[in-house]
Amino acid sequence: MATAPVALAEWLGYAAAPLWLELLLDVVVAGIIVTVMLLTSALAGPWAKRKITAMFTDRIAINRVGPFGLGYIVADSVRLLSKELIIPDGADRPAYDVAPAVLPLSALLGFAVVPMGSGLQLADPEIGLAYVFAVSSMASVGMVVGGYASGSKYSLLGSMRSVAESIAYEIPLVVTAASVVLLAGSLRLSDIVAAQQGTLVSLGPIAIPAWYGFLNPFAMALFAVAALAEVGRNPFDLGEAGTELVGGYITEYSGVYFVLFFLGEFLHIFLSGAIVATLFLGGPLGPGPAWLGVVWFGAKIWAFFLFTQWCRSAVPRIRIDQMLQIGWKGLLVLSFANLILTAIIVGVIA
Amino acid sequence: MSQTEEPAEPDEEPPAEAPATGVDYDALEDLLGDDVVRRETHTNAEGFVVRADRVQSALSALKDTCGFDHLSNVSAQEYADRFESIYHLKKYDDPTEEVSVVVPTPRDDPVSQSAEPVFRTADWHEREAYDLVGVQYDDHPDLRRILLPETWQGHPLGRDYNQDKPQIVEFEENVNPLASDHRDEDTMLINIGPHHPATHGVLHLEAVLDGETVEHVEPDIGYLHRCEEQMAQSGTYRHQIMPYPDRWDYGSAGILNEWAYARVAEDLNDIEVPEYAQVMRTMSAELCRIAAHLLALGTFCLDIYGDFTAIFMYAMRDREVVQNILEDLTGQRMMFNYLRLGGVVWDVPEPREEFFETVREFLAELPSRMEEYHDLITENELFQIRTVGTGVLEPETAKQYGVTGPVARASGIDYDLRRDDPYGYYENLDWDVITDDGKDNYSRLLVRMREVEQSARIIEQCVDLLEDWDEDDRTIQANVPRTLNPERDKEAYRAVEGAKGELGIYVRSDGTDKPARFKIRSPCFSNLQALPEMAEGEYVPDLVATLGSLDIILGEVDR
Repeated sequence: MATAPVALAEWLGYAAAPLWLELLLDVVVAGIIVTVMLLTSALAGPWAKRKITAMFTDRIAINRVGPFGLGYIVADSVRLLSKELIIPDGADRPAYDVAPAVLPLSALLGFAVVPMGSGLQLADPEIGLAYVFAVSSMASVGMVVGGYASGSKYSLLGSMRSVAESIAYEIPLVVTAASVVLLAGSLRLSDIVAAQQGTLVSLGPIAIPAWYGFLNPFAMALFAVAALAEVGRNPFDLGEAGTELVGGYITEYSGVYFVLFFLGEFLHIFLSGAIVATLFLGGPLGPGPAWLGVVWFGAKIWAFFLFTQWCRSAVPRIRIDQMLQIGWKGLLVLSFANLILTAIIVGVIA
Repeated sequence: MSQTEEPAEPDEEPPAEAPATGVDYDALEDLLGDDVVRRETHTNAEGFVVRADRVQSALSALKDTCGFDHLSNVSAQEYADRFESIYHLKKYDDPTEEVSVVVPTPRDDPVSQSAEPVFRTADWHEREAYDLVGVQYDDHPDLRRILLPETWQGHPLGRDYNQDKPQIVEFEENVNPLASDHRDEDTMLINIGPHHPATHGVLHLEAVLDGETVEHVEPDIGYLHRCEEQMAQSGTYRHQIMPYPDRWDYGSAGILNEWAYARVAEDLNDIEVPEYAQVMRTMSAELCRIAAHLLALGTFCLDIYGDFTAIFMYAMRDREVVQNILEDLTGQRMMFNYLRLGGVVWDVPEPREEFFETVREFLAELPSRMEEYHDLITENELFQIRTVGTGVLEPETAKQYGVTGPVARASGIDYDLRRDDPYGYYENLDWDVITDDGKDNYSRLLVRMREVEQSARIIEQCVDLLEDWDEDDRTIQANVPRTLNPERDKEAYRAVEGAKGELGIYVRSDGTDKPARFKIRSPCFSNLQALPEMAEGEYVPDLVATLGSLDIILGEVDR
């Protein structure tokens, strides 16, 4: 399937669109994608988070503003944006101001190449997967700059932890993704999705799709754990560590800057969900007509979101040394084992 | 209390002079030799008046030779002609064996030898005595103010203190917590608190970190000092003091605190508590213990898990049931004010069956709840790697610091005043003291969880008793005079097993209807003092977890 700008250009009657049109269409599609992702993740995300957490913890949560407390989304946006922006005396100014933008930016850039189904994809480069990991790991730059520039020891400790975590878990993440690349034979995300079409096995009336999550559940488990660490959710909640470091790298941020960090974190959870869905859950694939793709894709992202919230509610946070141990001595070894095994199996069969 | 049901009480507190415990005071006097100037008799134990320069030798002799290994409390006070420090010693093996070491010092030169080299716990106790009363201790490693700011003028519990004089302090005179920034060293000073999510109140920990490792930590307390002792000293015994204890350990442990005051005041005034009231007290106090332990469980898990997670809310939900029961019983949710000298204020609310039914429902539900907690917490591998083997407190160290309560029992110290120094109705009931040999954060949680089960056992037996109690014999209060004037210079130190440990009160009477000195021995105060021993050399998250497992309530630490 062609990317959305190309498809649009064809629909307008251009076989090969001129550059100006291509750029214009890119901007339009990017606008749509950003709006959709922002709406779902940043606006509905906090609402859903509160509702979901409340269910896990036996509470009712917000129910006063509008039906099911949905009006809270508006009320809370106004509240967050109208809060005073307090900048600490010891802050390192340009860096302190730039850092909050890096986090959401890197996540939004990542969405550019993700095939969301129903033709919603901005670009489809050959190195799609590598690109996603490259831009999403920019987030740790934002964290370290923000933490360092805040001029607070809590922020510093939090950002150091975040960086240690990113380094330790980025490698297993990429290595595990590489095993999927071996199976699909391509780094292009649309190819990876296409490779998951079809049925793995049919158990009577139930047809199990050929998603890599079913083909190699071990890799998916590894990837999900590493992704949890990447987005900094329990049990890898060390960077923020509310009860230890107050808020980690966001301790000294308030007002709009805090909103940007907050937004960035939610976007990163959704981006991780999108990568998990693309690599292991067949992306937008699902029963029904192809235009339903974006719905299936959304459902898979939200399933990952639910998973992160579940972990947040039920799993303790581990210590920094334990986190590094699990990352370097556990996940890294397992992910390489997975890669080599996959390579051997793919080599023997193919 | 009836004589038949309370066999231990008459042994402990005969109205006559010598307290007839198992201690051979004459032998002790011989042992101490010329350290002793004279002997005094306090309601709870004999007191030896010791020379101010011989405190260490006297205390060492009592500790090493006679086994008085628990410095429960240090009470200091100022008389017209002298200062006096009283060291209340007990045995961890048998807290009914008590002895007091009284150290008088002249008013113009109030210096006595510090007990710190003998008992580590004396460090903070003597600092408090210096801070509030003005006694000075020679040889003390760090004689600074502890509850009040360094800049405070005068000693508020001293006789010459002028309360009307304003404390004007310029900003520059205050201590700058960042003065030493450790910039040229490999370490980093970090101020955890006084406003920090993990300090459970207003506690300030000055921590020196080497990377993530805690090199040194020093608790700085006093942010919640509300002059509780002085307030109690200006209230009358009969009614005006009882509301205050609710505000010490406000983590739902109100009735346990009230009992501490009730016990000492009843001893001082020779008040007998009717048996029915003792059962009521026992039941309500154990309900409080469950509520307090559930709060401790919830907040400890909050520290480990990070967010307002399932465990915290589950603990709150179950605590809410207890709170509702207590509200039915006392009319209040936290500041119960339920006990009275000589009994309790109200009987079980009518209809009685309904109340008992509610309690029974809660007790029936509890085992499945505890099962759920064990599933979620103690059997969770991640939780275990976080808590097992961290915050280790060796029993010897614990005794040095006067640690009591679930913290001591989790270090394997079999010490529970409900059994060892019986009061109330505990001796007649069937329950166990829980101990664990793990000595770590995990054990402390486990001990609290098991104590909840034991408390439930106690409550169940109390409900059985109360239900079948003869209707004509339900005396909830003894006849206590409207005004209580204990004899002049009568002194008593009495403790009960609060939610956090040994909650003791020392009272000296001056013949009026108000106490001349009212000193609170807070278990949290002593337990918190042991924090550096447990947390130094470990990681920051372990420091936070250890603090959570100590289960301190700052209202009780600072009073």
